[in-house]
Formats: sequence, structure tokens, C-alpha cells
Amino acid sequence: MVMNNSKMTDTKYTCEEAPCVMACPIRQDARDYVQLIARGLFKEAYRLVRERNVLPSSCGRICTHPCETKCRRNSTDAPIAIAWLKRFLSDNYSEKIYTKPGRNYPEKIAIIGAGPAGLAAANDLALMGYSCTIFESNSTPGGMLRMGVPTYRLPRNAIDKDVALIQQLGVEIKYNTTLGKDVTLDGLKKEGYAAIFISVGLFDSRNLTLEGIQYDGVLKGIDFLREVNSAGTAKIGKNILVIGGGAVAMDCARTALRLKPEKVSVACLEARKEMPTTDFEIEETLHEGIKLYNSVGPKRILGKGGMVTGLETLRVKYVFDEQKRFNPAFYEGSESIIEADTIILAIGQTSNLSFLKNQEGLQISRGGTIIADPNTFATSVPGIYAGGDIVLGRGTLTECLAQGKKAAISIHNSLRNEKRKDEKWADKPEVQKMADSRVPLVKKEQKQDMPMLSLGERLNSFDEVELGFSHEIAVREAQRCMNCGAGAFVDENICIGCITCVRVCPFDVPEFRKGETTAYIGGDCQSCGLCIVECPAKAISFKTPLEDRGRERLKTLFAEKSIKNTKPLIVNFYCQYGSLSGNTKSNAVVEKHVKRIGILGLGKVDPSLYLNALEWGADGVLITACKEDGCHFCAEYDWIKKRSEYVGKILKELGMDSRIFQTHFISSQTDTAFLDIATQMVKDVESVISVNKS
Amino acid sequence: MIVADSKPFQEIEQMLSEYKKVYIVGCGSCVTICHTGGEKQVAELASKIRLAAKLKGKAIEVIEDSILRQCEWEFIEEAKDVVADCDAVLSLACGIGVQYMAERFPNARVFPGLNTTFMGAPTEQGVFWERCAGCGNCIIGSTGGLCPVSRCAKSLLNGPCGGSQNGNCEISNETPCVWNQIYDQLDTQQLLSTMENITPPKDWRTGAENHPRKMVLEHLVMKKE
Repeated sequence: MVMNNSKMTDTKYTCEEAPCVMACPIRQDARDYVQLIARGLFKEAYRLVRERNVLPSSCGRICTHPCETKCRRNSTDAPIAIAWLKRFLSDNYSEKIYTKPGRNYPEKIAIIGAGPAGLAAANDLALMGYSCTIFESNSTPGGMLRMGVPTYRLPRNAIDKDVALIQQLGVEIKYNTTLGKDVTLDGLKKEGYAAIFISVGLFDSRNLTLEGIQYDGVLKGIDFLREVNSAGTAKIGKNILVIGGGAVAMDCARTALRLKPEKVSVACLEARKEMPTTDFEIEETLHEGIKLYNSVGPKRILGKGGMVTGLETLRVKYVFDEQKRFNPAFYEGSESIIEADTIILAIGQTSNLSFLKNQEGLQISRGGTIIADPNTFATSVPGIYAGGDIVLGRGTLTECLAQGKKAAISIHNSLRNEKRKDEKWADKPEVQKMADSRVPLVKKEQKQDMPMLSLGERLNSFDEVELGFSHEIAVREAQRCMNCGAGAFVDENICIGCITCVRVCPFDVPEFRKGETTAYIGGDCQSCGLCIVECPAKAISFKTPLEDRGRERLKTLFAEKSIKNTKPLIVNFYCQYGSLSGNTKSNAVVEKHVKRIGILGLGKVDPSLYLNALEWGADGVLITACKEDGCHFCAEYDWIKKRSEYVGKILKELGMDSRIFQTHFISSQTDTAFLDIATQMVKDVESVISVNKS
Repeated sequence: MIVADSKPFQEIEQMLSEYKKVYIVGCGSCVTICHTGGEKQVAELASKIRLAAKLKGKAIEVIEDSILRQCEWEFIEEAKDVVADCDAVLSLACGIGVQYMAERFPNARVFPGLNTTFMGAPTEQGVFWERCAGCGNCIIGSTGGLCPVSRCAKSLLNGPCGGSQNGNCEISNETPCVWNQIYDQLDTQQLLSTMENITPPKDWRTGAENHPRKMVLEHLVMKKE
């Protein structure tokens, strides 16, 4: 199947961007890759993802997905599982999409740290044509992804797969090479590196000034995770208490649980709703049997004989003061004790800047991060750039990727004295929240659940808990997408103000705004395409080229040489909303004689296309649409029926046998019911042809 | 607007039977809005013509196009070259547009693809009713805003007649009796007494009985060079 163009190139009418795209720090084309999955165009979807995102396998698993938080489907039922769809693509369609770029420029770039920011910068600089070397202190790539994130959330082969594709662009990674020890910034400059990008991350746990912190059995969260992630185990006791309410705390608790102690608990200052991690993570933590103490603060660590015995806590009055600053206050006299023989402190990360000895010129913030210009990522030392956690303090995976990408452009601009910009980051208005009156008109579609490892299996291993979407689940989930900001638009130079679109839209979206003489189709458009077909002036089209309404694919079909020898040839236009399974039932007859063109909603198809198919050489046209109660748009059944009757009448006028043009409403496009219809139609058309001959 | 209906296909086929290269041209105004003569119908008809030719083993080339308004010299001028290049022109405009094409391109064989039917409007999507007969002497100010000339089967000026049955006209129970509607409307407006005024015979000379009609706006006419 050939797409017109998988990129959003024509931005003239795409004035309002989808919130999922705007919410993403790297401006990943979430809507469009979801739309491609909905159409079964998985390779194209992966390609689109990879063009913007160097770590799709990791993002698909552990991204905090602000895209889903902003998804407009929140208004109708639940957001699209955008991240899980990305994981589906990376699991099944990961491939090299670039040929190795040439060396366009002589400069060498050094990148310190093979974490998300460093990998993103290296990827983008290599694609521009620079020679990039990453210096990594560990023996494996990934940075905090590898050292911090537990394998049950992010298997290491997922990191390796993405990194291998970056290396294939010519990016070299020098492992076991620590800045400040094996190489120095000055040394790299002397070696001829024209720019250095520091993205070393935050690898130390923040300390807590607390009585009893010196007891044996008090561990630092990052150290603990790092040990388990490198060695596969760590020394802990039987009763574990994690202090902290963020993602790292949940990781520590769930990791500890897999080392089979008797009990794991988490204590945090925040109330459940205030916890700085996703609700899904908290739910999973609880589901695995971890006890959660909310709104408690540590007063002191209790110990006996130098060993931890528990934590004395105070009840929290509030975590944030009136100025919304982190400033916890406690109820006096509310002391209580949580027993524990191991306490893991997961209350944040901090930098280790020991590599900056003799680099007094590099400005450091009070929080221990490197100060870099927020736009150029240049530090106070010329030629040295920095990004990722070491600048952000604490960033998300995508925020770090974004910093790497932006730094790559900035380094190029500085070296070449250019003003290159990535238009994806331009400010654009977003599609507004769906109008309340429209919510009931949009069909509710159940969000697909992630298949999960059973509880028993989980706790006995570090195997990945989330098993990934099957093709069928992925397509079903992607088809829930409302294609925000990419729906129909009216070309005001062609519109004649006939009001047809206003009358036919099942969602009441087109309107004549006060004082305007052409119709306006707002952001609530669901992309059903009925108005596009019915507009007598042909003034309406889709904003993106993702939807060809069948015409280009019909042309492509008839451009194939082999098609001329197919007799009888039946073209089947079918609704892709009824086509979820990857395993379409088929037989030799259908395989040979029935050529299928799937469209997300047959309401998009111009009746003249059916005539074109016959005109260009089809012996029959078979329309298989969804049943009335199965229509995704709730309103296309009548239109498809009417249009079929209209075309049937035309063919009758031409004296053609009615059996060559058939419309069937079926519940699945992939099961035996379709097969029976298609097989029968081949027989029907064969007999029509033989009658015509005689 | 002007409403027009598609001509029976057989008639179109008959008209074009001698020609190998046909220019089918739609009109972007009234007939586009009434879904019979726009770009969309041009595409459908072109496809139908090609299919019909194919079924008969004949070759025909169809050029598809649409012009903003065929009733403007300036707009139809753009078709000059393609008209010269084709054997025949099938205009999907109202009768005015077809004539303009024929008049502007006297050497071309110009055929009508539509039957121009009436002046009317869509009362709902896909349904068009006649609303004006162009009588040249409008009286609807006294009939509650409803036109008995175009909407009464007999164009009665003093109705209803005895054929008004249950609110419908005797010619079809799908055709509302406009005089019944006028009565209801005047009732709503508390003007029922005006029903008793007898409208004298109308001067029909301003209407279709006086072809061809002409209008000149002296203040707009420009001197010819």
C-alpha cells in the first residue's frame, strides 16, 4: 500500500495542532502514527515515530506520556494509549530507516554520556553529517534507563535495539570511559572535538539529614537500583521500607519485592493524589502487594546495635505551603513507628560533578546542575554544551530527548553560523476541548487494556510485566483516535455557501460563523468524510494527506501490470473499522480475484470512485460496510446505502447486470462471512461475464 | 436559485453519439447547489459516458471541467481553447449557461446536460420546491409571504379552489395547497379578513407570456467605445 505522503507537509490549513503533539517535549507525531496504525500501516507508523524519536522502545514503555494527559478523548471516555501503541510499533516494526549519512562536515563532536539526551544529540548530529563519539562511563548504553529503570518495566534488549540503530548511523560509543578520569574536557578539545555536549545525568541519590541515617540497612535508592540492575541482586533484609513518593520510589519498592523479602512498604509525604508519579504506577505497586503509607514524614530512623529497626514518622499537615513551595509541615505529637530492617531513600537524585575538577569556568547552579542557556544549551564555557538531567535537575525521558535534539541543532548553528530551526517546536494554537454538546454524539469506545504478566509470574522474576499489544488490540485502540486537528477543512476560495456540510454532518461541526459567507469546520471534526463527499462544490478536503479516500490506492491498483490478467477482477471497498484482526480469512479464489481497498469509514468514498473502478477495468465492485449498529461514526449506514442505490441506478441505466455491483453490511471484514460473500460474488461475476460473451 | 434536473442518460448518449472528444462543463452556482451540475456531477457523468462507450466497444474522450458561472462572458472565456479542441460541449448549466456557451462559441456543438426546471430552494437536504414563477409583478405582500402564482397548480389569485383537500392540492397529496397555507399564515398574523378582498385579474404581460424580457439599469450601462 502506498501512502501519498506520511509527513504533514501542508501546514497551510493545519492551523490548530493536536494537543497530544503539543504536549510532547519532542513534538512526536502522536496523532499521525496512531492514525497510521488505525489504517494498518505499521511500517509507515514506525518510520514516523523514529524520525522524531531515537528511543521509541523505551518511550513506549516508560514515558510519562503527557500526550495522553492532553488527549481530547478524555472528554468522551479515556485517552488513547499512545505510548503503548508506540511500544507496539517498536516491538514489531523496528527497523533501520536511514541509510548511513555521509560526512557533510569536518567537525567531530564529543558527547558525554550515552543516556537519552546524549543519544538524541548524537543521532541528530550524525544525521546532519557530523562525526559523533559518545563517551560512556558504564559498559553498556542507556544511562539512567539502564541503571535506574528496573528490567520488569524496561527490558534491556529494548534499549539495545534502539541504540544499535543509532550506532548504525556511524555514532561511536566508547564504553568504560569516564569524564574526569579517562578523558578530560581539555583533552577532548585538544583531540580536535569542535563541540562537547555534556549529558551525564544525575546518578547520586539525594541525602536526607536525619537522625539514624548512619545505621546499617539504610540504602540510597539510585545505588540500590543500580546494583540490582547491574548485578541482578542486592543485599536487603526481610522488611523493606522505601521513603519517597515518586517514580524512583515505586521502582525501588517493586524491585525490592522481586528480591523476595517478607514485606515491602512505601512511606511518602504526599497524599495519594499529590504523589509525583503516574496513577498507573501506583496502582501496579499496590496490586503487587506493597503497602503504601501516605502523608507521613520521617522524624528519625530507629536502630539497635548499629542496625536499622524502623522509622519514626510524623503525620503531615501539608506538603506545599500557600506559595505552593515544597515546605512540609507536621502535626506535633503524631509520632508513630513503621518497623523495617532496610530503609531505601528514594527522595530524589543529585549530580556528581567530580569530573569538573579544574573546570572552574563552568557555571554550576546551587542545586548542583550545570547552567546552560535554555535555547542554545551552551554553557558558560565556549564550545561546551550541556543537556538532560544534569541541566534539568530532574527531567523526564522525553524532556531529556528534547534537550538532546535541540542541542544538536544549536551546535550545528554555532559551528556553521546558521539559524536553523525545527518548525515542530513552533508555537501553534491547539485544538480546543470538545464542546460539551458534542460529547454525546461521539461513540464511546472502550480503551484497550495492556495484557499483563500474572502476579505470581511477576514476583518470581524481573521479566517485563506489560506484555505489549497484539495487532488486533493495537488497531482497535488506534481506531479510537479522533484525528484531532487533521479533520476536514473548507477552502474558502471554493465554498459557495450552500450549507450542505452543515446539513449532513452527524456531529454538527460545520457552521457559518457570524459575518462569514463560507462554512467553517472546527476542531471537533471526527474525520468521517461525509461532508467532503456531499459538498457539491468540492470545497472540502482533509487537512492531512493520510486519507486518500481510496482514490490513490485504486489508481495504484490499476497501475499494476498483473491486474490486466485477473479475470474476473473484483474491487472490494471495505470499512477498516470492521477490520481488526491481522489474520484475514482468505481462500485462493478471493486471493486471486478480489482486490481490497480499506478505508476508515466508507462515508469518505465518492460514489464516482465505484464507477471509476468499473471504468478502469474491474468486472465487479463489492462494498462491504459495517452494520448499522457497528458504525464508528454512528451515521454512515444510511449514506452508504443511499449512495449504493444511486450507483446501482446508474449501472442499471447503462444496462449492466446488478450482480456486478453489490453492497453488504457485515460485522467483520476478516471472517468467513466476508469470505462467503466475496466467493459468491466471484461466481456471480463469472456468470455475468459468460452471459455477456454468449 | 435556479433548479435543474439531470437529463435522462439515454438522451445525453443520443446527443453525443457522433462525437469522440467531449467537453463536459459544470456550473459553479445554482446547479452546483442543487447537486445536478457541479464538479461532482461532471465527474460522475463523465465516468458514466466512458463506461457506456466501453460497453459498446466505442472510444470516447471526456474532458471534465467546471466554471464558476456559465452565465458570464468573462468566466466562460477560460474554456476557449478546450472548446476548440473538442468535438462537442455538454454543458451542465441551466439553460442560460448552455446558451451563453453556444453564443460565445458559435462553431462548437453545445448540448444541454440538464433540464432547467424552476426557481426554488432546498426545503431539506436533497428536496427542492418551486417558489417563484418570475411573473414580474410580485403580490406576496398580500398573501402572507407565500406565492400562489408558483405554488398553486392553477396559479389562482383568489383561492383556495374546491380541490383543496386536507391541506393538500387535488393534483397530489404530497403537494401542499398553498391557499390553505396562506389561510393559516394570515390567521397567525391576525389578517384573515384580508382573505375577503378579491384580487382583480393580474396583468400577466410582465411575466412569461411576454418573451423575451429585458431589464436595463440605465445608471449602470457603460458607453461602448
